[in-house]
Amino acid sequence: MARDSIPLHVVPPGEPGLSGNAPPLLRELLERVRRLLDDGESSAIDLSALPLTPADLAWLRDKLGTGEIAVTLHAHGESTLNETGCPGIWWVTHRNEQGAVMSQFIEAAFVPELVKAHPRDVLTGQEYLESMISGC
Amino acid sequence: MQGSLIDTLARQGVTRRAFLKYCATLASMMALPPAAGRAMAEAMAAAKRPSVIWLPFQECTGCTESITRSHSPTLEGMIFDMISLDYQETLMAAAGHQAEEALRHAMKENAGKYLLIVDGSIPLGQDGAYSCIGGRSNVDLLKEAAQGAAAVIAVGTCASFGGIPKANPNPTGAVSVSDLVQDKPVVNIPGCPPIPVVMTGVLAHYLTFGSLPELDDKKRPKSFFGETIHDRCYRRPFYDQGKFARTFDDEGARQGWCLFELGCKGPVTHNACATVKWNGGTSWPVESGHGCLGCSEPDFWDGGGFYKALSVPADPLKFVAASSVVGAGVGAAVGFANRASKNAARSAHETTTLADLEK
Amino acid sequence: MNALQFLTWVRGPGLNIAIGIFMLGVLWRLLEIYSLGRRKDLSAPRRTAGASGLHTVFRRSLPAPGMLKYSPVSYTAGYLFHIGLVLIVFLFAPHILLIQNAIGLSWPGLPSRFVDMITVVTMAAMVAVLVDRINKAPKRFLSTFEDWFAWTVTFLPVLTGWLAVQHLLLPYPTMLALHILSVEILLIVLPFTKLFHAFTLFGSRWYNGQVNGHKGVPV
Repeated sequence: MARDSIPLHVVPPGEPGLSGNAPPLLRELLERVRRLLDDGESSAIDLSALPLTPADLAWLRDKLGTGEIAVTLHAHGESTLNETGCPGIWWVTHRNEQGAVMSQFIEAAFVPELVKAHPRDVLTGQEYLESMISGC
Repeated sequence: MQGSLIDTLARQGVTRRAFLKYCATLASMMALPPAAGRAMAEAMAAAKRPSVIWLPFQECTGCTESITRSHSPTLEGMIFDMISLDYQETLMAAAGHQAEEALRHAMKENAGKYLLIVDGSIPLGQDGAYSCIGGRSNVDLLKEAAQGAAAVIAVGTCASFGGIPKANPNPTGAVSVSDLVQDKPVVNIPGCPPIPVVMTGVLAHYLTFGSLPELDDKKRPKSFFGETIHDRCYRRPFYDQGKFARTFDDEGARQGWCLFELGCKGPVTHNACATVKWNGGTSWPVESGHGCLGCSEPDFWDGGGFYKALSVPADPLKFVAASSVVGAGVGAAVGFANRASKNAARSAHETTTLADLEK
Repeated sequence: MNALQFLTWVRGPGLNIAIGIFMLGVLWRLLEIYSLGRRKDLSAPRRTAGASGLHTVFRRSLPAPGMLKYSPVSYTAGYLFHIGLVLIVFLFAPHILLIQNAIGLSWPGLPSRFVDMITVVTMAAMVAVLVDRINKAPKRFLSTFEDWFAWTVTFLPVLTGWLAVQHLLLPYPTMLALHILSVEILLIVLPFTKLFHAFTLFGSRWYNGQVNGHKGVPV
């Protein structure tokens, strides 16, 4: 039986509003962007480790805006690594196969580490290319 | 299948990025800083497979079911595959003497280095005769296996706290692993069954850092058992507003109100169900409309009834009638005695003194 | 004994013993007091307006002339904490559930945030009457061990209950168990200390009003 056919509906107990925990995050991000520019050090903030309400997250997303690049990773569920309106700040969401959000980060990086191909994997690609050429 | 973890994973079709993604999520769930996710991925990718011996005692195999059938194919399951599971009665192909031989071999080969996973409680009654494997009692097997172990992981409430076998009147004299193993580090991962990611989280922590995660006073990993179900429950606002379901099919239940009055043990239960959820994040008991049973706490089975609210008496008040009768009897007797002494005083023409009034 | 075993004990055998002793004590004391009786007053009653048992029950609920000014803390804080205690005990949802479980009666409760507020006010009022008792020489002089003891056993359930709900100081299961234990101590000592006024208050007022009313004196 599908879950929808059970007459049970959960009413959200009134949208919990802004907790006030989101605005300080902007300062934290500023600090991290500064470090990225000065030392080239990339870093990330784990959003699920912070006491943020859905309204806080929506506020943050809205403030940071949307950038030019949106990366989608298909690996055991979809992940999105989207540049925000502030270049160098990425909104990273990992989902599982069922589409549920498993973890969420804000990364300060020129390119998120996950996007770059690992040399070992590039090597595998090289071998594959060579095998194709020799196979022709 | 020796070799580093990442190679084994690659053979199973798990890409490096999928692995990195999993490690990032695992680190987040274990409340480690984001940088630890990468460190974890690097360390685990290079790690050699540790030998793991899994001893089943008085148990129902539910813990094994929980981890192997969580949802397939999962990275949790794969991490679990990545350890060298040298002895696990339910999963291993070998049987009988072959299986016991594998156990002895693993214990000798990896002495001092293997991880010992235990599920089920250990009976001490009748010299441990209630549960034996290959003619040897559980308590014997545990003591021998714990001696050479680097650490012992008690999986499930039975191994952690005694669980259902230990429930009143505990006919087999069941005890927990930490009751018997005192000289080795013990991690308790309680739950009936425990959440799969908690088990793999502890394994991943060990693979990565070579140590066990931070534990609470009941030896449970703090990152998963640090908060109560009630603290993280999405129905908590209803509790605060005083909105409760009173039966399982009333308006309150349909509206998804708080299940406290229906016996939910969320306020006294430490576990990660409310955040990690079950079956790949599908749902968890309270979301499905049933109160928390408190399965990750010691003696949850004897907690006074699953459907009794925490604030109501755990047992029927059986002394009330008897004590009321006794009280009435004493009161009446004292009343008669008072009357008698009053009458005696009157007939003797006693006078009231100041001392009488001070009484 | 771990926290949950402790909690289960106070909810089970502990509560059983406490309510048993409570019932025993209450019935004993009530029967003893009301069976004392009094010789019939054969004099002709003098009728005066406002002199009767019922009048006294209500009159004594109000401060005597001038007393409010003389001892403001006793009256205001005294009223506050008594009303607070009644509201907390009878209108907090988990308490109603306990009563329903014991005697089958149930009624709607107050939102827990509101009860929380009342609890803070009640505790403040109780602390105020204690400070007043310590600061005022006559009160201090008249106080015996029983007075301090009665204050403590009344205050502890309120404090531990509040700490448990607020998740302060100790883990919730331990605090909840301590709360129930403190209530059990209160239940056990109530029939045998001055706290028994919860039962005898209106009876004794009626008695005084009746006796003096017969003589034509409104008290």
